[in-house]
Amino acid sequence: MLGDFGAAIQIALTYFTILYLTGLGGLFSERSGIVNIGLEGLMVIGTVTGAFGAQYFTNDVGLGVPMGPVVGLLFGMMCGAAFSSVHALATITFRVDHIVSGVVINLVAVGLARFLSSVFFNQATQSDPGGPHLALIDIPLLSSLPLGLGRAFENLSPMVLVAAFAVVPATYVLNRTRWGLRLRSAGENPEATRSLGVAVAPIRWQGVLISGALAGLAGAYLAVEVVNNWREGQTLGLGFIALAALILSNWNPVRLIGAAFLFGFAQAIPRRLNELPIIELLPPQVIRMTPYVVTIVVLAGFVGKVRPPAAAGRAYEGAGGA
Amino acid sequence: MAVVAAPDRLAARPAWLDATIVQGTALLVALGVAVLAGSIIAVGYGSGPLDVYGAILEFAFRDATAFGAVLATATPLIFSALALAVCFKAGLFNIGVEGQYLSAMVIAAWGALSLDFLPGGLHLLAVLVAAMLGGMVFAAIPAVLKVKTGAHEVVTTIMVNGIAISFIAWALNGPLQADLPEGTNADLRSDIFEPSALIPRLGSALGVEDSAQLSWLFPLAVVAAVAVWFLIKRMRLGYEARAVGAAPGSARAGGIGIGSVQIKVFLISGVLAGLVGMQQLLVERGALVQNYEALLGFTGIAVAFLARNHPIGIIFAAIVWSVLSRGDTAVQLQTGLPREFVIIFQGILILSVVIVYEVAARRLMRRQLQRAAIEEPRDDIEATEETG
Repeated sequence: MLGDFGAAIQIALTYFTILYLTGLGGLFSERSGIVNIGLEGLMVIGTVTGAFGAQYFTNDVGLGVPMGPVVGLLFGMMCGAAFSSVHALATITFRVDHIVSGVVINLVAVGLARFLSSVFFNQATQSDPGGPHLALIDIPLLSSLPLGLGRAFENLSPMVLVAAFAVVPATYVLNRTRWGLRLRSAGENPEATRSLGVAVAPIRWQGVLISGALAGLAGAYLAVEVVNNWREGQTLGLGFIALAALILSNWNPVRLIGAAFLFGFAQAIPRRLNELPIIELLPPQVIRMTPYVVTIVVLAGFVGKVRPPAAAGRAYEGAGGA
Repeated sequence: MAVVAAPDRLAARPAWLDATIVQGTALLVALGVAVLAGSIIAVGYGSGPLDVYGAILEFAFRDATAFGAVLATATPLIFSALALAVCFKAGLFNIGVEGQYLSAMVIAAWGALSLDFLPGGLHLLAVLVAAMLGGMVFAAIPAVLKVKTGAHEVVTTIMVNGIAISFIAWALNGPLQADLPEGTNADLRSDIFEPSALIPRLGSALGVEDSAQLSWLFPLAVVAAVAVWFLIKRMRLGYEARAVGAAPGSARAGGIGIGSVQIKVFLISGVLAGLVGMQQLLVERGALVQNYEALLGFTGIAVAFLARNHPIGIIFAAIVWSVLSRGDTAVQLQTGLPREFVIIFQGILILSVVIVYEVAARRLMRRQLQRAAIEEPRDDIEATEETG
C-alpha cells in the first residue's frame, strides 16, 4: 500500500523535474514581459537534440560518468535556447503578438524535430532505443525511509536533484540581484525601466533565452534520462501542463515547486495508485485531466487569485530599437 | 520617431489602394523569403530549387485525382482556419479549435452509432448537427469563463485541449470501444458506422477516383467560407464583432454588448471547429479510431495567418498548404531531399508571414496617421503614434 505510494512519488518526481524546469523557464520569460506558450515546442527541440547528443558522444568524461548523457543534456539546452531566439526575435524585435509567435513556435517545432531526426537518425519519428543515461542515484537517508516510502527516493536521475535545488539560485537571482530586479521591472513596467536608463530589449531577450534553455534541458532530460531515446510526440503536452503549473504558482519559483509536484503526482496516480478506493472507480483519463481542470478553476477565480506580470504580453514600443 | 510626411504622393492615392499595395507587397515578400530560404536548403542538399518546387507542384496537379486529393486534404483546414478567423475578427484567439474538433468527433461518433435508426439522409444530418453542437459546447466553456470571470481565453482553451485528448481516449477505452473478436491485435476503435452516416463521395463525374477521398464536405467547406464572409461583412453581428475586435472601448460606447458578442462569436467558431474532424471521421475512416489525425486545429492557425483571416482567402490558403503537405512524397522520391523539407518550408513560410505582416501593418498604421495629419493638421501626432 505505502509501497505503491512510494513508487507513485518516484514517478511524480520524474514528472516534477520536467514540469519544474520548463515552468521555471517560462517564469523567467514571462516575468520579463514575454508570454511564452511555445514551451511545448521548445521542449520538443530539446528532446530530439538531447537524444542526438547522448547517442553520438560515448566516451567517458572520467570518474565513470559517461559523456553521452552530459553532452546530450547540454546540447538539448543549447538548442532549446537557440530555437527560443526565434520567439525573441519575433516578439521583441518585430513586436509580433506573443501568442501568435508562441503558436508558430509550437507548429514549427514539430516539423523541425522531424527534419532534425531524419538528419540525425535517418528516420523521422524516433531514434534507436536504449541510449545511454546518467548513473541512477539513491538519495541518502530519504531512500531508507520505512514502510516502502523509501522507494520514492531510489533509482533517481541526478537531474531530479538539479531541478529540486534550482529554486535556490532562481529565487536568489530574481529577488536579490540587480539583474533580477531589472528583469521583473521589465515585466511589470517597461516604461519605468526605460526611464531609469535600463534597456528593456536585452533583458527580455535574456528572459526568453533562459526559457528556451530550461525547456530544452527538460526535453533533453525526458529523452535521455527517462525514455532513453527520442520518439515523436513524447512530450505529450507536458509543456502545456508546465504552463498550467506556472499560472497556478502565480509566477513564483517557490510556489512552482508545489504546483509542479502536484501536477506530476496527478500524472503518476493512474500508473501506480489505480487500486486505491475512489480512484479505482475513476477512469485513468479523468485523472489525467486534473491539471487542466484545476488550472481552469483557478483562472476563473473560483479558488484563489492569480496575477500575471502586468506588462506580460504587451509589446514595448521602445524595445525594438533600443 | 519623427513622422516624415510625403503629402503629394499620399494624397494622390486612395486609402484602399494604399492598403492593398502594402498588403500585397507583404504577401509577396513573405512568400519570397520562404522560397529563398527553401532554395538555400535545397542547394545545400545538392538539388536544384526549381526541381524541388516543380516536383511539389507536378505532384499536386498531375491529374484530376491528385488535385482531388489536395482538395480533400484542404477541407478540414478550411473549417479550422474559418473557426480561427471568426474569433480573430472579434479580437479573440481560439487556440481551442484543436480540442473542440477532437471532442466533436467523439460526440459525432456517438451520434453515428446510436442514431442509426434514422433514415438515410437524416442520419448523416443528425451526425453533422451532433458534431457542430459538440464543438459549440466545448467552445462555450472558455467563452463563458472569459465573459463572466475574465479568465483569458488563450489559457483556458489550451487547458480544454488537454482535457479533450483525455476525453477521446476515455471514449475509445470505454463507451465507444468496439467489441473486437478475441485475439485480434488491432488498434482501439469504435464500431464501424452504417453507410447512411457517411458523407457521399464527390468524384466519379469529375474524373476523381475514390482514393482521393474527395467528398461533398469540400463544397460544404466552400459554402461555410462564403457564409462566414457574409456574416463578417454584411451582418450586424459581424459588424459588432469587428468593432469589438478593433476598438472595444468605442464598441462599448457605441452600445455594443461586448460580452454577448464575444460569446456568440465563440459559439460560431465552435460550430465550425466541430466540422473539422468530419473529413477523417465520415469520409476516410468511417469509425472513431485511436490513431486519429491530430493537430488540425493548430495547422488551421497557420492557414488563417496566411490568408490574413479573410474567409475566401482561407480557401486558397488551405489549398496552398495542402499542395505543400501532399508534395512531401514527391520531394522524397524525385529529389535528393528528405520529405521533411516540406514541413520546414511550411514553418519558414508561416514565420515570415507573421513577421512581414506585422511590419506591414505598422507601416500601414503610420501611413494612415500621416494621411490624417495631412487632412487635419494637429500637433499631437507624435503622441497618437506612441499609443498605436
